[in-house]
Amino acid sequence: MQTLGEFKLPHFFNYPPYFTLQPVRDTREKQIQLWKELILDYCRTQKVFVIGLDEDFQLFSNPTIERSLSHEAREAFLSALVLEGRAEWLDKGHRKCLILWHRIQDWADLILHFVKENGLEDSVMTVEEIRSGVVSRETELHGMDRTILMRALKLLEHKGKLAIFKGTSADDEGVKFSI
Amino acid sequence: MRRRPGIGGLQNAAAARDQYRLLGENVAKLRTDVLKEQLSTFRSQLEDFARKHKNDIRKNPAFRAQFHEMCAKVGVDPLASNKGFWAELLGIGDFYYELGVQIVDICLATRPHNGGLISLEDLCKLLGQRRKGAREAVSEDDCLRAISKLKVLGNGFEVISVGKKKLVRSVPTELNKDHNEILELAQGQGFVTVDEVQKRFSWSSGRATDALETLLEEGLAMIDDGHRDGRRRYWFPCVSSVSSYAGDTL
Repeated sequence: MQTLGEFKLPHFFNYPPYFTLQPVRDTREKQIQLWKELILDYCRTQKVFVIGLDEDFQLFSNPTIERSLSHEAREAFLSALVLEGRAEWLDKGHRKCLILWHRIQDWADLILHFVKENGLEDSVMTVEEIRSGVVSRETELHGMDRTILMRALKLLEHKGKLAIFKGTSADDEGVKFSI
Repeated sequence: MRRRPGIGGLQNAAAARDQYRLLGENVAKLRTDVLKEQLSTFRSQLEDFARKHKNDIRKNPAFRAQFHEMCAKVGVDPLASNKGFWAELLGIGDFYYELGVQIVDICLATRPHNGGLISLEDLCKLLGQRRKGAREAVSEDDCLRAISKLKVLGNGFEVISVGKKKLVRSVPTELNKDHNEILELAQGQGFVTVDEVQKRFSWSSGRATDALETLLEEGLAMIDDGHRDGRRRYWFPCVSSVSSYAGDTL
């Protein structure tokens, strides 16, 4: 079986017609389903948060069988993810797509769990610290996308679990937990 | 015998008829008895044989196929009834019913991928994967037997021959001769193009396109526009090998 780094590719990735958007509805639905699962799986294991449609994204072409996805197909698969709430377009032109292998709500739960695990219930942390600090190392929060993190934090703020306060620059935005 | 008049004559004639009938019945009974005896001997020998080779029959697919063939020759169907002694003796009925259920399962699960047509070979492989834990090996012959039992359900499980391959059909799609020929051609590379179909069968482009479009709509084919030469390829998942790509559809 073919692999990308340590990622095991599914068999359909080597079957050429899966790289052409299928015209028949039932077949296309199956095709889209397989691609959705593949994209989410890949992004989760490889920690990919943003896919640029016009960039060289490893999943979008398979040199072994000399096939790559058309722009139309890429947009179709990602749009299907957007419809399910597992992705969001970052721009109106649909060129960049944010992949939510955890939904925002799930990310928020992860943050709460992290805070409780580390006894930070009343502490103050900067946003950068959550993403790349020593405490969050070895957790899923480490290296997470800033946009997604902010969205999750805002959701928690909305629920009264924390307060976000602004520093002088974007880098030193801080969070006061009150769980 | 000259017919004599009078009541005595009539009585004589009746008595003679009775005698004849009695004799006839005796002969018939004798024959039936002999036949019955032969049958019971045969049956008990078949039972003995089955008992003796029970393990072989259950475990060895080739042996099982031969046993089936032997039974068929003498007009015995070990699968005819699950309650019969064959089933009790061999548990063979259950085996095929179980197989049947698993075959239906696999056909349904792969249907979105192959449009309800799967090669017997692929079916066996998937069946093998699913039954990894089971003791008995499964042969293509077993699959065919289990499928023939599924026909009772009337839901169009059928085995069709296309070229050298046997395909199992689980949707009521009727494939005409054109479709069959295309499927046969596709066995070579896994796909065909309109050009190839036209040239090979000397069809008009309309006929070739029509047939391919139908196969596409039935979900039996998938298009591939990604090749360098720019020619659209029609791929047929049902004739490509399972090991190359389809294993993850389950």
